[in-house]
Amino acid sequence: MSQREQRIIAGIYHLSKDLGRHFSLTDINLQVTNGEFVFLVGPSGAGKSTLLRMMYMDDRPDSGQIVIGNFVSTRITRKTIPGLRRKIGIVFQDFRLIEDRTVFENIALAMKVVGTPMSEIKQRVTKILTHVGLYHKRHDFPRALSGGEQQRVAIARAVVNRPAILLADEPTGNLDAVATRNVLELLFKINAGGTAVLMATHDIEMVQSFGQRIIYLENGRVARDREMIFVGDVRDRMEESRVSRRADQLSEHDIRDEEKE
Amino acid sequence: MNLRTAKYMIDEMMVNLGRRKGSNAIAVIIMGLSLLILVVFMMVTLNLASLIDKTSDEMRLFVYLDDGLKQEEVQKIQRKLLGLRGIKEVSFISKDEALTEFREILGEESDLLAELVENPLPDAFRAKPKRGYITSEFLASIAAETEKWEGVEEVRYGKKWFERGERLAKGIYIIDLALGLIIFLSVIFVIYNTVRLTVLHRRTTIDVMKLVGATNAFIRVPFILEGALQGIAASLLAIALLVAIYTFSARYLPGLVFMRHDALAGFVVFCAILGAVGSFSAMRRFLKL
Repeated sequence: MSQREQRIIAGIYHLSKDLGRHFSLTDINLQVTNGEFVFLVGPSGAGKSTLLRMMYMDDRPDSGQIVIGNFVSTRITRKTIPGLRRKIGIVFQDFRLIEDRTVFENIALAMKVVGTPMSEIKQRVTKILTHVGLYHKRHDFPRALSGGEQQRVAIARAVVNRPAILLADEPTGNLDAVATRNVLELLFKINAGGTAVLMATHDIEMVQSFGQRIIYLENGRVARDREMIFVGDVRDRMEESRVSRRADQLSEHDIRDEEKE
Repeated sequence: MNLRTAKYMIDEMMVNLGRRKGSNAIAVIIMGLSLLILVVFMMVTLNLASLIDKTSDEMRLFVYLDDGLKQEEVQKIQRKLLGLRGIKEVSFISKDEALTEFREILGEESDLLAELVENPLPDAFRAKPKRGYITSEFLASIAAETEKWEGVEEVRYGKKWFERGERLAKGIYIIDLALGLIIFLSVIFVIYNTVRLTVLHRRTTIDVMKLVGATNAFIRVPFILEGALQGIAASLLAIALLVAIYTFSARYLPGLVFMRHDALAGFVVFCAILGAVGSFSAMRRFLKL
């Protein structure tokens, strides 16, 4: 991968966003280059999901800018959003498969939306289902699958159109240890094929063991990037961040009270 | 939009319809039954109107003539009557014909007339007003005018009964209109809500389609088509039930009028549009599409 030209495919610049209830994202800067694998780590409520949502432009930053390929958050319109979504794959904790569609149909839908010819859809879905090891379940409905299998179908759907980047929001949040490992391995495999992956998770310990790039969100800011963190250290930091956030809230309250007076 | 995308949209609609047969059937039945109330009401209104129309069409103006008029005088009155605005046809009833009619009406009691030395009835003209001129104001004005003519003894048209009937008809129309409006609005409400629920049930489908980069058109069109189809199915159900009701009640109410076919076709089209618009606005309002 090192021979390949380094190119930023997703960039967040000076992004700020009010999350309500005294939480906010402040001056976030982060870039993902092609073929990179990045973990976005932070406690629940730190704004990871909101950040991802702003990346697929379901939400807008209060200030700052997000650039994905040719799409710029400050210039995007309702009409051009579908174009952006076709360049990125998105996976969630709750899988979001359509219940009354088979595994095959769920994946095929992503290609139909783009107007791919049916022969190509069949070929490609077959290939991707084989890739995620679920070809034999292509005619099953989602409820007949285990959580791990459903997530693999969701991942297959997300990458079937060969996106430049895959955004995964707590993809292992609902899964047991074995399924988690399977899903992570699948994500690494997809990444090895050249797709950049940005995975948000609160599970620092799990992320630790892989040696990928980790971006740590803390108090609404990017606290650490590109460095290895040791588990004990992180625990301390998480505790610290909770305390300091509470402190911040208190001081904010004080300020507001003073303002009122 | 190319042909393939159009085909995929129709595929979407077919899958949506096919996979949720139960909930679709329930939606169509709910819509069909509420539409049935509307069409039954429309048929009742139609029959009321035709009854009122028929009754008022039997309205005649009787112009009784003085005794002993000459042939030319009678013909002159007839010409003048026919020349009046709003009179469709005029027929002459001689005093003898009138007496025969009277006998027939009396039937067995016609013996009573045997005592008569001479015919007491006058010659008369029976004038039929044109449709649209049958109002109490018009009849009163015609009666007043013709009564002034020479050779005319009296003009009668059952003034009191006519005015009473006219008031009744007006009252019926007002109540009917108010009821119709209420039923119409309720039916629209029921259909809109049913279609809206259908759309809301598919929230995940719509969310997923947005995430994978479907254009709004690609998401909307299948739902709009589905709403239109549901509307058509529901209207056909309502019409089928109406035919059944009509066939049954026509046995007891001969002369019952059924709706015209073009009105029914219009009704089906209206329901299709209602379903489509319901689907569209539900998506706009609840899914911000």
